[in-house]
Amino acid sequence: MPLAYSLPSDLSPATVTNTSSLLRIIALALISGAAIASRLFAVVNFESIIHEFDPWFNYRATKVLAEKGFYAFWNWFDHTAWYPLGRVVGGTIYPGLMATSGVIYNVLHALNLPVDIRNICVLLAPGFSALTAWSTYMFTKELKDESAGLLAAAFIGIAPGYISRSVAGSYDNEAIAIFLLMFTFYSWIKALKTGSAFFGTLTALFYFYMVAAWGGYAFITNMIPLHALTLILMGRFSSRLYVAYSSWYAIGTLASMQVPFVGFQPVRTSEHMAALGVFGLLQIVAFAELVRAHVSSRQFQSILFGSVIVIGVLGVLAFAGLTYKGWIAPWTGRFYSLWDTGYAKKYIPIIASVSEHQPTAWPSFFMDLQFLIFLFPAGVILCFRELRDEHVFVIIYAVVASYFAGVMVRLMLTLTPVVCVAAAVAFSSLLDTYIDPVEPEVSEVAVPVTGGDSSAASPATVDGAVSSKKAKKAAAAVADASSTGIASGIVAAIGGQSKSPKARGIFGLDTRFLIVVNALGMLLFFVLHCTYVTSSAYSSPSVVLASQNPDGSQHIIDDFREAYYWLRQNTPQDAVVMSWWDYGYQIAGMADRPTLVDNNTWNNTHIATVGKAMSSPEEVAYPILRKHDVDYVLIIFGGLIGYSGDDINKFLWMVRIAQGVWPDEIQEPNYFTPKGEYRIDDAASPTMKNSLMYKMSYYRFAELFGGSQAVDRVRGQQVPKTGPTLDYLDEAFTSENWIVRIYQVKKEDLLGRDLKTANAFANGKKRKKSKPLARRKALA
Amino acid sequence: MPRHWRAPLSLLLSAFLPLCTLAANSFENTAIVRTVELGGALVHVTTTYAVKALEDGSSVYTIALGEREHAHTAWLEAKLKGQTERLPLEDFGYHRDSGFYLYTIELPKALNVNQTSNLVIETVQTHATYPWPEEAAQKDPQSLKYHSELLVLSPYKTAVQRTKIRSPSPQVHSYTTPEDVEFTTDAVVTKAGATITYGPFYDIPPSAIQDFVDKKQKEIVIHYAFDYPVLEITELRRTAEISHWGANLNIQDNINLHNAGPRLKGHFSRLEHQSQAYFGKAAPHVLPSLQLHLPAGIHDVYYYDLVGNVSTSHLRTTPSTPKGTEANRFSFLELRPRYPLLGGWNYSFTLGWDSSLSDYAGFDSKTGKYVVGVPIMTVIPSVVVDDAEVAIILPEGATDVDYYAPYPALSESISTHITYLDTIGRPKVTLKYQQLTDKHGGVIYVTYKVPFTAHLRKPVAVATAFIGFFALAFAVKRVDIRLRRK
Amino acid sequence: MLLLLPLLALLSIPFCLAAPSAESAHEQLVKLAAANNGLIKLDDNLYNLLTHPNRNWSASIHLTALDPRRRCAPCKEFDPSFTAVAKAWSQVPKPQRDNHFFATADFDDTMATFQRLGLQSAPVVHIHLPVEGDRRPASGRTAPIVYDFSNGFDAGPLAEQLSVYTPVPIPYKAPIDWAKYGTAVGVGLIILSGIRVFLPILRSRWAWAAGTVITSLVMTSGFMFVRIRGMPQSGANGQWIAPGYQNQFGQEVQVVSFIYGLLSAAFLMLTLVTPYQTQPYRQRAQIYLWSGVILVMFSVLISLFRVKNRGYPFKLLL
Repeated sequence: MPLAYSLPSDLSPATVTNTSSLLRIIALALISGAAIASRLFAVVNFESIIHEFDPWFNYRATKVLAEKGFYAFWNWFDHTAWYPLGRVVGGTIYPGLMATSGVIYNVLHALNLPVDIRNICVLLAPGFSALTAWSTYMFTKELKDESAGLLAAAFIGIAPGYISRSVAGSYDNEAIAIFLLMFTFYSWIKALKTGSAFFGTLTALFYFYMVAAWGGYAFITNMIPLHALTLILMGRFSSRLYVAYSSWYAIGTLASMQVPFVGFQPVRTSEHMAALGVFGLLQIVAFAELVRAHVSSRQFQSILFGSVIVIGVLGVLAFAGLTYKGWIAPWTGRFYSLWDTGYAKKYIPIIASVSEHQPTAWPSFFMDLQFLIFLFPAGVILCFRELRDEHVFVIIYAVVASYFAGVMVRLMLTLTPVVCVAAAVAFSSLLDTYIDPVEPEVSEVAVPVTGGDSSAASPATVDGAVSSKKAKKAAAAVADASSTGIASGIVAAIGGQSKSPKARGIFGLDTRFLIVVNALGMLLFFVLHCTYVTSSAYSSPSVVLASQNPDGSQHIIDDFREAYYWLRQNTPQDAVVMSWWDYGYQIAGMADRPTLVDNNTWNNTHIATVGKAMSSPEEVAYPILRKHDVDYVLIIFGGLIGYSGDDINKFLWMVRIAQGVWPDEIQEPNYFTPKGEYRIDDAASPTMKNSLMYKMSYYRFAELFGGSQAVDRVRGQQVPKTGPTLDYLDEAFTSENWIVRIYQVKKEDLLGRDLKTANAFANGKKRKKSKPLARRKALA
Repeated sequence: MPRHWRAPLSLLLSAFLPLCTLAANSFENTAIVRTVELGGALVHVTTTYAVKALEDGSSVYTIALGEREHAHTAWLEAKLKGQTERLPLEDFGYHRDSGFYLYTIELPKALNVNQTSNLVIETVQTHATYPWPEEAAQKDPQSLKYHSELLVLSPYKTAVQRTKIRSPSPQVHSYTTPEDVEFTTDAVVTKAGATITYGPFYDIPPSAIQDFVDKKQKEIVIHYAFDYPVLEITELRRTAEISHWGANLNIQDNINLHNAGPRLKGHFSRLEHQSQAYFGKAAPHVLPSLQLHLPAGIHDVYYYDLVGNVSTSHLRTTPSTPKGTEANRFSFLELRPRYPLLGGWNYSFTLGWDSSLSDYAGFDSKTGKYVVGVPIMTVIPSVVVDDAEVAIILPEGATDVDYYAPYPALSESISTHITYLDTIGRPKVTLKYQQLTDKHGGVIYVTYKVPFTAHLRKPVAVATAFIGFFALAFAVKRVDIRLRRK
Repeated sequence: MLLLLPLLALLSIPFCLAAPSAESAHEQLVKLAAANNGLIKLDDNLYNLLTHPNRNWSASIHLTALDPRRRCAPCKEFDPSFTAVAKAWSQVPKPQRDNHFFATADFDDTMATFQRLGLQSAPVVHIHLPVEGDRRPASGRTAPIVYDFSNGFDAGPLAEQLSVYTPVPIPYKAPIDWAKYGTAVGVGLIILSGIRVFLPILRSRWAWAAGTVITSLVMTSGFMFVRIRGMPQSGANGQWIAPGYQNQFGQEVQVVSFIYGLLSAAFLMLTLVTPYQTQPYRQRAQIYLWSGVILVMFSVLISLFRVKNRGYPFKLLL
């Protein structure tokens, strides 16, 4: 029999399997290593620090858990958040993340490894990414084989789409959620294939973990029923499906209701109704099947079938009715905005205002997935080729996830795994075809199949490949290999497993060589791409900013921590700090001071109040501040060094949100120039110039430039020479690069004058007494 | 005043009372010169007694400190003029009927009649000054006030005495000119440059008596400008961890820094701060950065606070000096707090470093004991440490631990401390101090034995853990728990 | 003409000074409103009448420029919905209805007013709150409130927002779009009737495969972005690549999805089809061909990406 290249033939199957499994273990270990290592850029370039905003809350909660124990954490009422309302933390979070790191913390300490809780939090995400790679491997293995599994693991290990949410320090729910997602899906597939209640239960347990860990669990809650429903419609109902689904749904739902934040939602809200409905449908279908098995009368069966359909329809109607009567809550806003994409902007601006809720343009798809993104459809097609139940799952997953990822940037996260899996399937089947040494030629000897596996990296591969090909050829010997031309080729290809396979294979070495080199080149490119993207785009902890010195060395801009730490050390413990909600968690975490609003945006009115205070003139804002016992107001101002994510740029959202509650006091158009431009220079609209935010941002900013013209580096506009004056607030602290500015709210005037006149009086007197201050020169 | 000296002897106080009353006429001071070096948190006072014996074999000289002096004094040492070794000093604590704190000094050799000797008493006073005015705006200058007594009191008769007060800057806003002072004919006080001289005063009777104080003693107040921030370390926790495996001595300080200068009036304006920096005339009570002399040969210096690493500081390390050579070289750290420290502001941080154990430890082959010397504190000039705790963590399994402090601690304890890969934990020596000044920079010597088995403990523990893990994995892999055989 | 404008403005001043008493004005307005089902057509005097210094009614005034010469597309787009809302208001029982008026002021009839208000853009909707009576705002605000067009030109949001200022909510209901329902029903019927024809398609996996793949291709090339943001098909001056990383035009969707599709097709060819070739030379040719396609298209894609994301360091052939 002709071989493109020779192989060691004197290998016993046992050796082969052992070697290959060893190699697989090594490969997986290396992949995990790579996955973890590529997420450490943030730590290497900066330090082991918690990133961004939400992680700071998770970190704080975890500290409570680690220090005070689980029950204290469970019953934790946070007085400092949402002052004066406070927040019941235990009931308003997904505790999975904190619980996980809490367990790790305690275990390590029990082993006399006193690791700092911060480091655990920082390194949790990379650690779990390794687990994700492993579970993806298992998942893909079920689809195709180990070699595809390894590829998939490698892909998800370094794919930026997943790294973006799991670099060291981004201590957020997604860090562990993706692992849970993949493992739940894996065990679901497994349960479906084996029809074992054990795996069904495993699915349920991991589903519970997922529910406890991430709000995105609704994705699983709807994916699995959708899959089951599709299988039923495809007429693929089986006892395996029945067992798997029932065990998952029963146990999973009951378990998920134990999470206080979820509570009775699984039976009350629309997100969960699909699962319930399919559960019911399954019972009916099962019953029908049962009857059908015993009765054998055509029309009765057809009646039965019809009745099944009818009952299904009735169920849907009943559900609709319940929703209409309000016994079942309709879709929540966040969820609904996935379907009606205009919804959020109109009715929940707070959600729309978050940048990661914006739709995704194609460059970010390519940025996050590079060549996987176009291998992905190929993989889907291959799934269609051999359409086993698990392939159906992947197909559904592919469609749904790609839609969601298109609607919301952050949902790229749920797309990444399936892309990796599909791409891996496509890629590995390409390699299988071209590494396989057998050249197609009709040969008389039909060798019995010795069974085998093919993993792209080991001698076993080739050998296994050989044997499996032998099998094909054995069959091929029977069929005639006369077809030529692409068309017939396609026909043959489409035929897939169903028809008796024709002689397939590759002639010559050069072709093989070309393809393999090509493939390796793409993989290499992918690695380069991922490394570049990760290091440049996804590894900066927005708490610390990095800039380049003239000599090229890295210069760290640390204003946030400077200001937060100042608050922490030099203000009374109970001083209430008002800031826009983005910074609530950071203030609570780093400055350890009460805040009015923070990143869990549960109370729109409260946020609107802050928005109103920021966007209305001093004398209007002052009563609001005093009513809320605000001692300090903290704002972010990037005008000096050109930090674009500052409050002036977010200002319009504050205005909008405030307008939503006080439409006749705050109107967005008033903050634009008559020409409808958003300006901060002399041409700015009076409302803009009088707003508290504007005043606080540019207070004494012009003086910094002395004589010369003051320029706002973010807006690229010239700031008026005579800056705004403040009567009701005092500048308390300004960080080194003016990014963070903190103002203290004055107490009422002792003489009962309003502060404006009091100030005017004081200034007047001063001028009489002392000569004016020396004019300041510009600072370089 | 270091109370710990008092503790053992205060019981005997009554027994010694006759002695000091008797001592009252065994000496006379031919001259007393007190020199006060005004400063911020620390005030150095040097008093020179020229004493003449009135009896043969009089060897115990007594000095007296008033209430306030005693309350502020954190360091007190007596020497013979021109010599280095300290004279033994005994504390008699509070002497009830005279209302003084008495100390007796053992002269090296007893004096006979009319033999003279020059005693030099050095004291360091902490918290003796306070900012005046108590509040200052960002651009205002900083001034301190210092209270003291006019006359140096002594249980002996004094021929002549004078008090010199040196202010760090010639800019002295005010100083009291006491009225109707006896013992002198001409001007009570004269000011020359930065120095204010009280006296000379002649023929003062034994003055360590309450009614003398009530009648004759006068209070003097100096109000002077001080151009450096007044710094206090309210709390210093030093942990020194000795590791034989790493041949490493890790020293870590947790420091609460407080600017005890005038409280900031109004608010901090970055604009003014930057312009001051730009024109190079920073306000005297603002601390932009702190210069520290860390030991030589250190590496992996880290400096962070509650919210993470602080990137604003510069370090210049120098290689460690070979043993024996007394070249005192330093690694120089310019430590910048996250924000400039204005009057009344606090800043807490953690500073630590590693250094090779060989620079600090030695092995005494005779006793088979290791000797490690751990510096009590990193001395920062003119900064007072209110509360200090030094903990020395010895390697695991260290036995017969012994330690020798340069001066006794308030409380001493040995506990166990468990850290990475420990099985039984390590002995930890903890010493507590108060009111440390730049005179207190000393070294605590710890000696201990480490048996060979103790060295092996760690690797063995780790090895067992791993082997156990593998055994478990092995078992799990081999045991078949399926109900149905496929 | 331009010189005239100030004069007109001057002329209009006497009107606001010597305005007739509020009562008479009110009656007049009621009449006008009734005449033109709920919508008053304004000229300068009427405008001053409507914004009477001591009015006890509220009014929503729609300032627009419908004359074709003004070439104001949004005006034309918005006008019908305003009219619709005004019409809806005219159904309200009289006592409430007469406390709020809807009026349209066209630029060509009320230049002076436009001049005075210093309006440079249209359409604009001003809501004048009552100055007297029990409905006067607590803030005592007399300046008009400007309607916020952030929700587009539809009648729905307009009615919703105006209802805040009217004595009773505007009973506006969006007209039922019979055409839509009709087509839906029709399509449904067709499918049902042709079920025999469609069944094989529904049953064939490759139909579904095509559907799936096309969907995911379109989605992953930013279709939803274009749809949600309402991006144009291609930019001004005929450029079809939108500058900026988080931004794209409609045409990019087609191009990118085409490239993706071609690339994955090439891969499929290599994996599935070529192996079935039984003539070596044909097969070799195919393999080289498809590999070439992959290489070229991929480098095209990369260069396209480099346009979007400057500073992307890597590149292939071009």
